[in-house]
Amino acid sequence: MARRTVRLGLALALAAGSAVLIPAHANALPAGFPKIGMVCTPGTAAGGTHTFNLTANTGYADTPDGNSVFMWGYANHDAPDNDHFQTPGPVLCVTEGETVVVNLTNTLPEPASIVFPGQTGVTATGSAGLLTAEAPANGGTASYSFTAGHPGTYLYQSGSDQAKQVEMGLYGALIVRPNATTCPPDPQFPDTNCAYGASTRYKSNGEYLLLLAEIDPVLHHAVEIGSGTYDLNARRARYFTVNGRAFPDTLQDNGTDIQPNQPYGALVRLQPNTAANTQPTLIRMINAGLLNHPFHPHGNHTTEIAQDGRVVPRTEHFGETIGSGQTLDYLIRWDDTDQWNPASNPLPVPQPNYRNLTFKDGNTFYSGSPYLGYKGTLPTGTVSQNICGEWYFPWHSHALNEFSNFDEGFGGMATLLRVDPPGGCFGAPTATAIVGGTLKSGSVAALAFDDSSYYQVNPKTTTTTANRTAGQTTLPVASAAGFPASGDYYIRIGSEVLRVTGGQGTTTWTVARGQLGTAAASHPNGSVVTALANDWYATFGLPAGAANLKVTYKGKNCGTTTLTTCTALTANVPQQTVKVCNWTIAGAAGCSSGTSADVSSTWTLPSPQSNYVGTGAYKGQVRVLVDTQRWTGTSPTPFSTWGNFMKIVYDAP
Amino acid sequence: MIGREDTGRPAMRAIAVTKSKILLVLAIIAGGLMYGGSTASAATTTINLCALPGTATLTGAVTVNIWGFGIPTTPGDCSTATASLPGPQLDVTMSATETTTVTFNVTNALPAGHSITFEIPGITFDAGAADVGPGATLTRSFTAPASPPVPPPAPGAANGPGTYLYGSGGDGGRQQAMGLYGALIVRPSTAGRAYESAATAYDVEAPLVLSAVDPDFNNAADPMAFDMHSYRATYWLINGKAYPDTTGITAAAGARVLMRYLNAGYDNTTMMLLGMHEHVVAKDAWPLNNAYDAIADTIPAGATEDAIATVPGGGGPSGSGFPLFNRQLHLTNGDQAGPSPTPSAGGGMLTFVHYP
Repeated sequence: MARRTVRLGLALALAAGSAVLIPAHANALPAGFPKIGMVCTPGTAAGGTHTFNLTANTGYADTPDGNSVFMWGYANHDAPDNDHFQTPGPVLCVTEGETVVVNLTNTLPEPASIVFPGQTGVTATGSAGLLTAEAPANGGTASYSFTAGHPGTYLYQSGSDQAKQVEMGLYGALIVRPNATTCPPDPQFPDTNCAYGASTRYKSNGEYLLLLAEIDPVLHHAVEIGSGTYDLNARRARYFTVNGRAFPDTLQDNGTDIQPNQPYGALVRLQPNTAANTQPTLIRMINAGLLNHPFHPHGNHTTEIAQDGRVVPRTEHFGETIGSGQTLDYLIRWDDTDQWNPASNPLPVPQPNYRNLTFKDGNTFYSGSPYLGYKGTLPTGTVSQNICGEWYFPWHSHALNEFSNFDEGFGGMATLLRVDPPGGCFGAPTATAIVGGTLKSGSVAALAFDDSSYYQVNPKTTTTTANRTAGQTTLPVASAAGFPASGDYYIRIGSEVLRVTGGQGTTTWTVARGQLGTAAASHPNGSVVTALANDWYATFGLPAGAANLKVTYKGKNCGTTTLTTCTALTANVPQQTVKVCNWTIAGAAGCSSGTSADVSSTWTLPSPQSNYVGTGAYKGQVRVLVDTQRWTGTSPTPFSTWGNFMKIVYDAP
Repeated sequence: MIGREDTGRPAMRAIAVTKSKILLVLAIIAGGLMYGGSTASAATTTINLCALPGTATLTGAVTVNIWGFGIPTTPGDCSTATASLPGPQLDVTMSATETTTVTFNVTNALPAGHSITFEIPGITFDAGAADVGPGATLTRSFTAPASPPVPPPAPGAANGPGTYLYGSGGDGGRQQAMGLYGALIVRPSTAGRAYESAATAYDVEAPLVLSAVDPDFNNAADPMAFDMHSYRATYWLINGKAYPDTTGITAAAGARVLMRYLNAGYDNTTMMLLGMHEHVVAKDAWPLNNAYDAIADTIPAGATEDAIATVPGGGGPSGSGFPLFNRQLHLTNGDQAGPSPTPSAGGGMLTFVHYP
């Protein structure tokens, strides 16, 4: 799947005097294209006319089994693509009511053309052809114009020598978006578009195109070498493509440089339907191939809303045959109906024993955990492509011979639906470290769930090793372990609060007496010294490229250092402060820039968030400091910090 | 070709139909199952057919042997019939007020050893023998209900109006591959409608029997001995003809064209129409509750579909009009031996809707 192909086209070799090597990678995508989702070729829109300039030319498509197949295709003539070969053809997106002009230059050795199924009143100029006007061979031109009269998903394809040219790849997608009359803006859902009318609203960043096709390499080879037999009646397709790629290449990003001529990825990605995420995702499907394909989306049903660019009564599908030349539009909302949760709603059956499973090719999209958003363990040697416990569902042709590359499965006409956890990926802490305090009970695992298990930290205690008068400012102690090694901090002896101002990390501290409204007093040798603050870190691991980081923390303050149940504190309540540590500022000072939170809050990391993700030995780590202080010492009672739940939420790459 | 005549019209050569009218006094049925009352009269229609060998000429002056249906001028005497590909179009028009009993007398004139059946998927025949050997006549009958006009949505009706594919299922499907199929059109009492509903009104009718032929099979000395694993169709036909021999559909701008698709072939066939949408109103002779628009609809093998397209003004995409073609791109004729599809000018399952 991760092959690199560098191919210098024959045309380059023939370019007399050309000393400029064009980079093999030109992705035929506009600047700023998204990595996933449908990408439109811009064309030129002016004065109600939307113009595209296409060139019919030749190139190669790479298949996952290492083959490269000679193809014909439509390329975008406009800069910066400059006729870079691509398959399928450019995605032409226009707005309802626009006049669409498509100019075609044909570099192929036979006449070529474009027909626009579903468009009425197409005028064409060029040489006469059977189905429409044609661009003559070897540089001829033709032009097509029509009014985009009706929103919808449409195919465009060659109308010349179709039995050869459509097989060879002369096809693409035409998307007609509704105008503002058909789809009035809805202030309630500002980030939505409509596929058709207002009842077909979808998330504007949730628009996907799945253009299906097939390839019989024998036919393509006959065209490539100009001899042999092109017998469509004996056609047996061996490659089955989505957006011009075969699985697993379909999962690669748009514009990946391992697919230099196949710019369009096919991974579909969404988040479960929640109160904050109510709008569905739009799947535009086109079958440019010659065969009818029974396409089977796993996961939730998809709602069919339109066929051939016309709205139809809604039907729910987990499998639907999309006919040759047909287009179908679907809305999909992914409802997490069961809400399985490892703590509050565990699956009623045990996981399969790994000894009974095979992880094909040592590579899996499974996270090791059946729960959305959680990762588990996998057998040693198994590589997981899973980032944060997201779920993957195969969407594929259920004609299972098409779920293969040259009859070898899995492959071919397939992609994955990626379901991210609600709100994005989330991570639980992977480690904890106490820098001020002592562990009462629990472990890092207790922080993974909002439940009844806690990570409990008591204030650190030690004892004095000499008698002290009320005025002495040097305090010898038995141990500094568990007390902060730097910075001022408070301690309590009896009813007096003292502030350690020097000697941190040693057993001889310099202290200020009678702090926080308490009175200095004498303390005998062996008096118990208690820290007034608990400080502990939790550390998260993040995948590279994670963005939009948010930390959520829930914890409790309890008036006990010994009991297993929490004694509520009603007065002098300590404050728990969550601080995320800035790795560009050394030491604890980097954590002091955080914004405080109470015992339950979510905090968005300040910009630039990259400062909060570690590098080098701390690569991908986010560190969160929980600092609990009991400031008022007039009536000191024991307290402890009970961490219940901590997570980080982020957009995974 | 017309397989039925109204009483009083002069008999034509191809017509061998008798019709008589019998007044039936029906027993009173509790609840009144009949339209309009508890008594009704019934019309009868008889259609005589022969299943017999013949030949068909395909594009490029290729002659293939067929087994086809023909209408004998003398009922029961198949020497007076000629096999055609597809078989003759049979028409039955329902009555608004009475049932119509349709009887088929199908004489088997195939070579020795080949029994025929007569099947019309979607039609429920009266009880009777299902097959018959060579030289004998198979009689099948069904009764179409009375067909009063109704406002839309029109319900489907058993044995009601619609587009039906008839054929013989003998010899494990080989008889159909040899050409024993054709179109039966059952018309509602209101002329110019595909079904009773006004929503199915049309101006121009175009039955389109889709099929394929492998000359190697048809011309085999014994079709029963042909290895069907090597069956490979090379001619792709609309009403027995491949482009450029197909007959165009003539319709003026604004005319409503009723396309009656019948897939007599062996694979699911997608027909793409350029320059307009078609409104699919019925499948398998049953009106759809949710008619829909399409430009590339797939007609499963053995199925029928009725679609109405209103021809736009302003001309079609090509000088020939509005292309209607097989989107599996079976647009070739005969064996393909070169590095390009032939004929290069286009062939196969292609026709055009064009202005007069």
